[in-house]
Amino acid sequence: MPDNSRTTAAWRIALWTTLAFSVGTFVAFFIVYLLMAREFRARSDAWLTGEAQVLAQIAQHTPRDGLYDQIVKEVAELAMQEVPDERGSQGQRLNYVFFLRVNPSANGDILFVGPGSRDAFWRAIQQAHFVVGIPQSIRVEGWQPDFRVVVQVHEGGSPTYLGLSERGARHVLHTLMERFLWGWTGTVFLGFLISYLSTRRTLRRVERITETVARIGSEELDERLPEPAGSDEISRLAKTFNHMLERIQASVKQLRSVTDAVAHDLKSPVTSIRGTLESALSADNGDGWRDSVGQAIEGLDRVSSLLNTTLDVAEAKAGALPMKRVAVDLPAVLTQLLQLYMPAMADKHHEVRTHLESGIVVEADLGLINRTLSNLLENELVHLPPGCRIEIRLRARQGYTELVIEDNGPGFPPEIVGRPFERFVKGKHSPGHGLGLAFVEAVAQAHGGSVKISDRNGRGATVSLLLPVAEKVLPTSSVKSPIHS
Amino acid sequence: MRLLLVEDDLSIQRFVERALVEAGYRVDATADAKSAEALALERVHDAFIVDLGLPDMDGLDLIARCRAQGNAAPVLILSARRSVDERVKGLEQGGDDYLTKPFALAELLARIRNLLRRSSASQKEPSRLEVADLQVDLIGREAKRGDRVLQLTPQEFSLLEYLCRNVGRVVTRTMILDHVWHMHFDPATNVVDVHIYRLRSKVDCDGCKPLIHTIRGVGYLLKYA
Repeated sequence: MPDNSRTTAAWRIALWTTLAFSVGTFVAFFIVYLLMAREFRARSDAWLTGEAQVLAQIAQHTPRDGLYDQIVKEVAELAMQEVPDERGSQGQRLNYVFFLRVNPSANGDILFVGPGSRDAFWRAIQQAHFVVGIPQSIRVEGWQPDFRVVVQVHEGGSPTYLGLSERGARHVLHTLMERFLWGWTGTVFLGFLISYLSTRRTLRRVERITETVARIGSEELDERLPEPAGSDEISRLAKTFNHMLERIQASVKQLRSVTDAVAHDLKSPVTSIRGTLESALSADNGDGWRDSVGQAIEGLDRVSSLLNTTLDVAEAKAGALPMKRVAVDLPAVLTQLLQLYMPAMADKHHEVRTHLESGIVVEADLGLINRTLSNLLENELVHLPPGCRIEIRLRARQGYTELVIEDNGPGFPPEIVGRPFERFVKGKHSPGHGLGLAFVEAVAQAHGGSVKISDRNGRGATVSLLLPVAEKVLPTSSVKSPIHS
Repeated sequence: MRLLLVEDDLSIQRFVERALVEAGYRVDATADAKSAEALALERVHDAFIVDLGLPDMDGLDLIARCRAQGNAAPVLILSARRSVDERVKGLEQGGDDYLTKPFALAELLARIRNLLRRSSASQKEPSRLEVADLQVDLIGREAKRGDRVLQLTPQEFSLLEYLCRNVGRVVTRTMILDHVWHMHFDPATNVVDVHIYRLRSKVDCDGCKPLIHTIRGVGYLLKYA
């Protein structure tokens, strides 16, 4: 782990998730808080409006005699008792109600029921501007918090004020808010802790993978990551890394074997060329050196052809062969190649039979197809003992064209059965380099085709090459006639 | 005939220069593009031989600059890059022919001859070729050795025609495959040799002076000596 924990992903992830969580919960709570506050006010306003109306009505209809003040006050007190007598934490009263009515008599007497002195309330009411029936908050000197006050007027009578200071509801909301904040802080802290620890635990596994991969150099490709059970993302990461290492190891191994094979195959011609030239230099038999030099050049040609073929096969295997696809008339190409190879075949007393369906066109690189087919024919020429029968069939079947070359020779040597298309895999007595079939396969695959071999237990070998036939008509490659006209 | 050879590998430059001088050309050889450009401005060359991987400039750029200066001499590109793409690119960007390393000197000389012939006024196509008592009738597609008509297959006739056209000059197996069969690859087997043996058995029959010679390590040569 890096020393500075603030730079770790675990820290950042925990920080951001916690931040998102805390902001989200806070906003949600705040909305609930506002809704509750509004609900409380709506309820007290409804009570105020209704009660004030009733009181105004009673005050209006009560006969104005000596008992008038008494009756109205008592009715007002009765109504006030409907407000719950809530107490604060020190036992003090929380809710206060006042009733105030300006008497209709000429002297402007004021009827007041409520806490404290009448004058403070009267002053506050006189300073405010009321609309009948709509509650309003007013500040009364010496009282906290504001009173909600409504004025009602019944049938042209004098105004009746009813005020309520509902500290109880406020107190409930405050307590709620306070407790929420405590709980919220705790949850946020705990959430951060849990999220940090669990993320760090998960990312430690990633860190272990990083450390292991960093340790794996090009020489120690045997090392593998521990694959934890389960199939979560990190297990899959480990498994994917292991697959990748597997593939890299295979390629490196193959590369090494190819390099070894090339080096090996180069050593013997270089040795023989050197020897030939050395003997030519020391010989004094007149024109005999010419022969040695010629031999040396032939050896060098073989070396350069080995290098070229190796590179071509490597390119083909990597899918990097530059291809120029044209419509290739396969039977025509094959016929032309056979004309080239027939005399050599006849020299070895092979009997060649051909069954070529005409009009088979494949979309392919002409040069590559030529070399592929000539590789197959050269295989027959090199590996068959004299006097064999070779059958070459070309036919179209279901979107593919199939070329089958079948012989009655000794079949494939056991060394190559099972991996005939691998580079530098060749029979013990083969004079070649084991690249021919590798090239054929690579070219076939590059063209979307395939090649397979079968061995009839010492009674012959079959090679079949499948190539997709051309779908659309392309500019036809002119298979030039071998005869100059 | 004066040729300009631009090749930075001095061992290759030396032997190519020697071979060209022996073949009767005058050669200006240089190892970098800057001096090649200067030489091309200074003297008139009949053809350029340019290596692609030059130290100070890509061979293709050198060709482009010479072309921009109005130099129309044909160019033979030498390259170690074997891919078809490179070949096509080289030929598209002003090269007239392309030869990959390693190459046979015989092929290099043949290609230069070809380029020089192409650039000079087109010669009249002969209707018959003659080497000593060998007569090849290109129109009737018939060959005679003395009074004896040779029974040749069409491929053997093409092969003989190619050898006759290059009388006195060595042709390689690759050149034969290219010109007679239009195929570009080096066969690992002796397919070409078998054709030559068959042709030789018909042309150089018992008692005749042999015309078709094998040059070990290089190829074949038709000559009367």
